[in-house]
Amino acid sequence: MLEKAQLEEILNIALSKAGDFADIYLEKKKVNGVVCEENKLERVVSGYDVGAGIRVVSGEATAYAYTNDLSLASLKEVAKVVSQGAKGSKKDLTIDLRKLDNPPFFSIKERPEEVKMEDKAKLVKEANEVARSIDQRVKQVTVSYADSVQQVLIANSEGSIAEDERIRTRFVVNSIAAQGKDMQTGFESAGAAMGMELFELFDPKEIATLATKRALLMLEAKAAPSGKMPVVLAGEAGGTMIHEACGHGMEADLAQKGLSVYANKKGEQVASSVVTVIDDATMANYYGSYLYDDEGVKSQKTTLIEKGELKGYLYDRLTATQEKAQPTGNGRRESFQHRPLPRMSNTYLAAGETDPEEIIRQTKKGILVKRMGGGQVNTANGDYMFEVSEGYLIENGEITRPVRGATLTGNGPETLKLVEMVGNDVGFKIGTCGKDGQGAPVTSGQPTMSIKELIVGGQEIEDENPAWREVSLRPYWKRK
Amino acid sequence: MNTLEIARQAVEIAQKLGSKATEAYILHSKALSIEVNNQEVETLKLAEISGVGIKTILDGRLGFAYSSALDRSSLEEVVGQSLANAKETTPDEYNVLPEPGKYQEDLDLYDQRIGEVPVEEKIEQARLVERSAREYDPRVKRVRKASYQDSEYYVSLVNSLGLESSYRGNYCGVGAFVVAEDQGEVQTGWSMDINRKYDQLQAAKAGREAGEKAAIMLGATTVGSQRVPIVFDPYVATEFLDLMSNGLTAEAVQKGKSLFAGNLGQQVVSSALTIIDDGRLENGIDSAPVDGEGVPTSRNVLIAEGVLQKFLYNTYTAKKEGVKSTGNGIRCSFKGSAEVGTTNFFIQPGVVSLEELLAPIEKGFYVTEVMGMHTANPISGDFSLGASGIWIEKGQKTKPVRGVAIAGNILELMENVDLVANDLRFFGSTGAPTVRIKGMSISGA
Repeated sequence: MLEKAQLEEILNIALSKAGDFADIYLEKKKVNGVVCEENKLERVVSGYDVGAGIRVVSGEATAYAYTNDLSLASLKEVAKVVSQGAKGSKKDLTIDLRKLDNPPFFSIKERPEEVKMEDKAKLVKEANEVARSIDQRVKQVTVSYADSVQQVLIANSEGSIAEDERIRTRFVVNSIAAQGKDMQTGFESAGAAMGMELFELFDPKEIATLATKRALLMLEAKAAPSGKMPVVLAGEAGGTMIHEACGHGMEADLAQKGLSVYANKKGEQVASSVVTVIDDATMANYYGSYLYDDEGVKSQKTTLIEKGELKGYLYDRLTATQEKAQPTGNGRRESFQHRPLPRMSNTYLAAGETDPEEIIRQTKKGILVKRMGGGQVNTANGDYMFEVSEGYLIENGEITRPVRGATLTGNGPETLKLVEMVGNDVGFKIGTCGKDGQGAPVTSGQPTMSIKELIVGGQEIEDENPAWREVSLRPYWKRK
Repeated sequence: MNTLEIARQAVEIAQKLGSKATEAYILHSKALSIEVNNQEVETLKLAEISGVGIKTILDGRLGFAYSSALDRSSLEEVVGQSLANAKETTPDEYNVLPEPGKYQEDLDLYDQRIGEVPVEEKIEQARLVERSAREYDPRVKRVRKASYQDSEYYVSLVNSLGLESSYRGNYCGVGAFVVAEDQGEVQTGWSMDINRKYDQLQAAKAGREAGEKAAIMLGATTVGSQRVPIVFDPYVATEFLDLMSNGLTAEAVQKGKSLFAGNLGQQVVSSALTIIDDGRLENGIDSAPVDGEGVPTSRNVLIAEGVLQKFLYNTYTAKKEGVKSTGNGIRCSFKGSAEVGTTNFFIQPGVVSLEELLAPIEKGFYVTEVMGMHTANPISGDFSLGASGIWIEKGQKTKPVRGVAIAGNILELMENVDLVANDLRFFGSTGAPTVRIKGMSISGA
């Protein structure tokens, strides 16, 4: 992208007035996407995005500017603009850049740009056909394929240049099935830091089948019960719960601002002793993996909670500096248009020893979550929720009937203390995590586990619930 | 940068390369954002970006590609890519471009003040947000975000049928996200104000409101499962309105994904509700002379007193049904072609005040925050959310409530609306007044 001397010049301009630290983030990103809907290949899209962001940090303050003009003249101008936002006194710095040379820990077999659009379109078409052939109640199918090749270069005033290339491919199927007026949806996705070899692991037709069968199953399902009850999360359900109930609260920016229930709890028991939570950006080919984070820090595996004890937080450079801690390689940004923030990568609750079937057998009555959807958390008080996209009722240790429309709500630290059994079968799902308006590709995972109780928000109010009978409906809208 | 000229060049290149119909859209924008913490500038962000999106049509096949590089060779490359993509898509006779039309240039989208005010004064706006939040209540101990931002944009659109359009606009805003703390308990509150007019920006009010929202939630507890009247504050009502927006597009109807399909002329929600999309609304954040395809924007009453009147169209969906586009071809950036979507989208306010709306409620739940709206299903309308807010007794707000789940279907919910207040408020381009719902099940402890 740019020569070492040019990068040094830009960083020197950025720090010419004041400031403790400066970096430049250069990004080139090519994307391709194919969407099939209405039985038609509606959209085939390609994009090329380039840009650079320059940052100066002075104490806790950050000045940031970006442009998509990568000419040296433009970048020097941007550096000048940023330098005016720096505070304090001018430091006497000599910037001598050296390229970091950590070897990549995984490789890409079939780069997306070397595969013809026609072949990508074919996968999408085939998945669409399979989904539509399953049942005549299938009314609409949306299949989408997307790949991205993102090249980044990060140079900073501490003297390092890090270069990384992130290649990601994903495939998503949404099916709609209808019976009379009842319309239900099913969703399935696969994605990895891979090229087209993703489809050696995940067959697009299989993804289409899973999504469609889920929509059909939900047509058969009845409303979920409401109220507090035991919940079993299956190992294949994805890790939305752990991402929301724990992961976000471990991000150092939130913890430092007192916006996390996990703040200042290092060394304390914050979860049941069967709970170990890890964030690991070094898992080969996982959707949330990278060699360097978006601040040029080598990625790593970080233990957040070990056997219930809080071990550490997720840091970017800024938050690490403030605590005199080491950055954990979790400084990520959506693009050159965003400044880095502490973010998760691949986050999971580690495997236990219990046989997953045993966990279900030991549950008298509750909800089994086979697939989670999205979720959200209020990190300040720890309240979170996640959606159940495939759920069942467990009665006397057996799975009885499918339920629909359930959302589980709970409180992070309370939930982690209520974890009773942890299975030996960790599974992962991909997602896009949103924070401060920035999206980041992540995975989250967990084994089959049981939680003593969570609030299930279904639409069915049970007869035996006394609170229901207490309430009388007054014609309050008629004014007295 | 003469983006209109670059757009013309792009169309010319495409037509020479064999495109039958071409559209070039260029967006050039500048933005400033400031965040303060403890009255010090924590983040100062300046941005300038531009990019082009090229739509080509080859025998009814639609191709699209975008690039943020605008030099001649990048233009040739992005045009070539768009044409190559067109070869892969399924032919569709309704893929057409709009003819040039007349549009009135009477919209006031640009406030000179936003550009003129020095950065120092804008920093002061963010400081005022923070101070006002802290001064509202001593228990407001921390501020995660007190911010000022503004943005200025230039749009140029050219198509091969001779349509040309270019306009500029700007807007500014303040936001606050604060934390109140008392005896170890922590609650958050937020507020925002986005405005076309710098002098109408209400920084102090936004700060106070965020402080109030956080402080009022201290001491929140859950309540038992029961069925009670529910009141949504304007923001929560806006979030539910958003859930219905997709179903009001012709695209969703044509693809069998609309909650409202086949119901034109019928009562679909409570007669207390009138829902409008207005692409020309005065001071509307999404107001523009033309939509993302160059079609003049318009005001559309979609639901009048509960009766479904019409759907929103872009050029494609209109052509398919043989009707006129409503000027609702929306593009979020240069990175996509225009899809059907809303502009300034809102529930028409009623006549009663918030106090009058609450007064007859014997026991009810005033919801100020829902969690997980993005997990609601816009196709079936089913939602299941975490909710928090204030308990109402005898028409008065009493104690804070959290840890409650609400679930249902958006259409049933909207059928049960019995009153809307006169306090319409926009959150960006969507807005709603306070909305009261007759009865709804909530699940708590």
